[in-house]
Amino acid sequence: MSGLATAQAKAASVSPLGLYVHVPFCASTCDFCAFYQTQPTADGVHRFLAGIADEAALVPWTQPVSTVFWGGGTPGLLSPGDLEKLAAIVRARCGSAPEEWTVELAPASVTEARLAALKAAGVTRVSLGVQSFQPALLDALGRAHSLAQIHRAYDRIRAVGFASVNLDLMFALPGQTETEWAEDIRTAVALAPDHLSTYCLTFEEDTKLWVKLSQGRVKLDPEHEARLYESTWALLEAAGYAQYEVSNFARPGHACRHNLNTWRMHEWIGLGPSAASQQAGLRGANISDLDRWLDHIACGERVTEDRVTLTPALLAEDALIFGLRVNGGVDLAPWRGRAPEAPWPQIEDTLSTLAAGELLVRTGDVVRLSNRGRLIADTIGTEIMAAFEPITETA
Amino acid sequence: MSSRYTRNFCIIAHVDHGKTTLSDRLLEYTNQVSQRVLTEQHLDSMDLEKERGITIKSHPVTMNYPAKDGHIYKLNLMDTPGHVDFSYEVSRSLAACEGAVLLIDAAQGVEAQTVANAHLAFGQKLKVIPVINKIDLPSANLDLCLKQLEDILTISAEEAILASGKSGIGIVDILEAVVTRVPPPRWTDYPQTRALVFDSLYDSYRGVISYVRVFSGAVKAGEYMLLMSNNAKSEIKEVGVFMPKMEKRASLGAGDVGYVVSNIKDPSEIKIGDTLTLSARPAAEMLPGYKEVRPMVFCGLYPVDTGDYEKLKAALGRLRLNDAAFVYSSESSVALGFGFRCGFLGLLHMEIIQERIRREHDVDIISTYPSVVYHVIKHGDVMLEVDNPVNLPDPGEIVEIREPTIKAAIHIPNDSMGDILALVMEKRGTVDHTDTLDATRVMLTCVLPLNEILVDFNDRLKSITHGYGSMDYELGEYRAADLVKMEILVNADPVDAFASIVHRDKAEGKGRELCEKLADIIPPQMFKVAIQAAIGGKIIARDNVKEMRKDVTAKCYGGDISRKRKLLDKQKEGKKKMKQFGRVSIPSDAFIKVLKTN
Ligand SMILES: Nc1nc2c(ncn2[C@@H]2O[C@H](COP(=O)(O)OP(=O)(O)O)[C@@H](O)[C@H]2O)c(=O)[nH]1
Ligand code: SF4
Repeated sequence: MSGLATAQAKAASVSPLGLYVHVPFCASTCDFCAFYQTQPTADGVHRFLAGIADEAALVPWTQPVSTVFWGGGTPGLLSPGDLEKLAAIVRARCGSAPEEWTVELAPASVTEARLAALKAAGVTRVSLGVQSFQPALLDALGRAHSLAQIHRAYDRIRAVGFASVNLDLMFALPGQTETEWAEDIRTAVALAPDHLSTYCLTFEEDTKLWVKLSQGRVKLDPEHEARLYESTWALLEAAGYAQYEVSNFARPGHACRHNLNTWRMHEWIGLGPSAASQQAGLRGANISDLDRWLDHIACGERVTEDRVTLTPALLAEDALIFGLRVNGGVDLAPWRGRAPEAPWPQIEDTLSTLAAGELLVRTGDVVRLSNRGRLIADTIGTEIMAAFEPITETA
Repeated sequence: MSSRYTRNFCIIAHVDHGKTTLSDRLLEYTNQVSQRVLTEQHLDSMDLEKERGITIKSHPVTMNYPAKDGHIYKLNLMDTPGHVDFSYEVSRSLAACEGAVLLIDAAQGVEAQTVANAHLAFGQKLKVIPVINKIDLPSANLDLCLKQLEDILTISAEEAILASGKSGIGIVDILEAVVTRVPPPRWTDYPQTRALVFDSLYDSYRGVISYVRVFSGAVKAGEYMLLMSNNAKSEIKEVGVFMPKMEKRASLGAGDVGYVVSNIKDPSEIKIGDTLTLSARPAAEMLPGYKEVRPMVFCGLYPVDTGDYEKLKAALGRLRLNDAAFVYSSESSVALGFGFRCGFLGLLHMEIIQERIRREHDVDIISTYPSVVYHVIKHGDVMLEVDNPVNLPDPGEIVEIREPTIKAAIHIPNDSMGDILALVMEKRGTVDHTDTLDATRVMLTCVLPLNEILVDFNDRLKSITHGYGSMDYELGEYRAADLVKMEILVNADPVDAFASIVHRDKAEGKGRELCEKLADIIPPQMFKVAIQAAIGGKIIARDNVKEMRKDVTAKCYGGDISRKRKLLDKQKEGKKKMKQFGRVSIPSDAFIKVLKTN
């Protein structure tokens, strides 16, 4: 083997490739949801599966997939047979078994048959969309599941036995008190999941909740949200769940690798309507419409929307912006090597200012945010963008 | 043509006493403007003026009136600005007249500006025709008005004409009084041509158009005119009158009011109050009363968006074309970048110019704290004029700082006397004397430092008196005072734009107030930021800006990255609109807000 080939093999082994599949079906639309989803029909599902197979054939696969993530939508709405069909398309691109394979499930759709199909297909990780243990709040969110369904779903998942189980929870819901939220955390912890994602309610445009906000029916209170964030971090830490990203907590060894890889600006391929990809110097997304996505695929086109050419400097910038959301932070050394043209003195200046203000902690070449810094990671992101400005604007 | 049948007069009044309405009536009656063309308020044309109910530019108009004596009279009605900031302009408009109609709102009675304007008119030796206006109002109090006329203005009540601009009562009486009581044009037999320049207008095609009142001789196209204050010579291109639109005439003769187009292109060459004569046969003496107008209030104006510098410069240039009293020169500030030091006649003048820059020229601007012109006496008896705190010499070099004062006439209801006295005291003023206006009102004559009334005096006067109080002032003398330069430090760095010259006794209170306001107005910051007020390095007040608590997106996965970047980009653009002070971003309107939230 030549030196170059060895280097390439090494690069491939340290640069994992992710695969995301967007399953765009939901039984009903939740009030806070801005994801692309549609009502499932037998014909729709059929065409969707065919589309995924066709899209996968369009992808210039350069290396085996190391992590898989099925999100939505509600992947769990597919029948066991359809799940198996989808899994077969995925497995064909994975070489051996992927390191991690996550599927998002909604409590109402968790059946033994589906779980068995997923387990058999090679899924290693299940993410259950609980959102809240308060029936009134579930109702307020427009979620179509009950408390009993949550518990039954969780028990079934554990009974089948997946390597890692995550629960999704939401806080800062309209009307939710700090005590109620603490109670939700305790209930979740009592179930002993391997991973917890806790999301502060976000008002996304084009959601029912946004309409309520703009009508003044619900109010934003950043101070209250900040307190909820802090209490979440403290409670979960105490319960043995280490925070590894703004909204993600895990027991040792259970952090979601697929997502970590994304934040480190590794490459991933997205299949399905609205799915985003980042590959071969290009970031972009598929169109957020089942029929139009199918049309595009039929014409041999994918990643038609929001296309951005990724320069090394832009990737370095994004690695910092998104990597700083991760507790482990960012190692600057490799980025300096990859993007020597980035305005590093200016970037160092910004980082020093942030460090002086105790928003950022630096150990050698690794920078990470303090707790206070993580709470204002967006503002810090804009500071980083400003530091990169001269390069990205002329790029 | 003889000037026997010419009368030049103006209408003077306190704001809202009905001057515009009455002027319109007179025009309507003399048929200059058909009723259809007449907009609600004909003479007040600028939007801003309409909103504020004041006139800045004088718009003269010539009317032909067939009087009861059988002759047709040429009546030139001069409009006068209604605010103290423009008192020199008012005095020049008055100087162009022989008579003045003094309006008094029948329901309000004599007010501050009524007195001030009446005194200006007396000073110009004008025949004053008192008119009690708005007599249609149920709340009209004729007895009181007539008594005030005699007591306060020493005008015989018998001379008063009762009128209502709204109902058209007394219009002919007023026109007749103008014809019979106002003397014909004066100084017509002076041997050479003399005309008073009382205003000017910049026209992009024709250059600077002078508004003139001819006293003697004649002015016509083709001759060379000479401006006596600066010896500027120029060929006269056109002359004409206001009907009220400009109408060309062969010549303007003694007693006429009209316009002169010459080839002067630079507005600063045409000075209000100047005497225009003919270069071939120049007059020996100027008409009396010419004064170089000097700005009294200064502030820095900066573009919010540094890219707007040229736009702002052009806007200032254009505003200056029609407002010789407004001056500017470029300056730069560490905090605000490149901008302009601007001088104004007074606070209202400053506000109007700022509004026009924003509205008519569409430039977003920041204004620094206004300052008056201080006289700083240095060792060796050197006097320095300082209109910007930044230029104040080191305390060691200063023997004494003198500040301008004003002599104010403040009209107030009796029951707010205590509060107003306290306000005057607070503003370092003294009350010279008190006059009773009527059973419910008094007039205080006070001396106040000009810098104390710059920001909120008038607002507080209005609020204490529930809107009934009014004030008029003239400039007084310079007086020595214990003044110091107070700096505001943001994050320990002095922000030059916030520096001010204040009285030592008030520094702490004002410093605290400024710090508090700034801390409140500056949006939460990433870092701990202290706002401090200091005199010569000694901190006298401090406050902290709120720290930013939460600004983080909850969900951020592969598909969210593009969307998230767009959001951050927007945030970044928003931040660019702010001014950076080291690590602190201050929204550009913070300065204005700080000035305005008094
Ligand atoms: N009742 C009554 N109101 C009047 C009369 N003249 C003017 N006004 C009102 O008084 C206010 C001020 O009038 P305006 O002519 O603009 O006063 P200016 O500020 O002196 O020019 C307006 O609301 C007019 O409608 C009048 O003769 N009778
Ligand atoms: S189930 Fe998930 S994807 Fe579907 S509407 Fe609700 S939140 Fe959105």
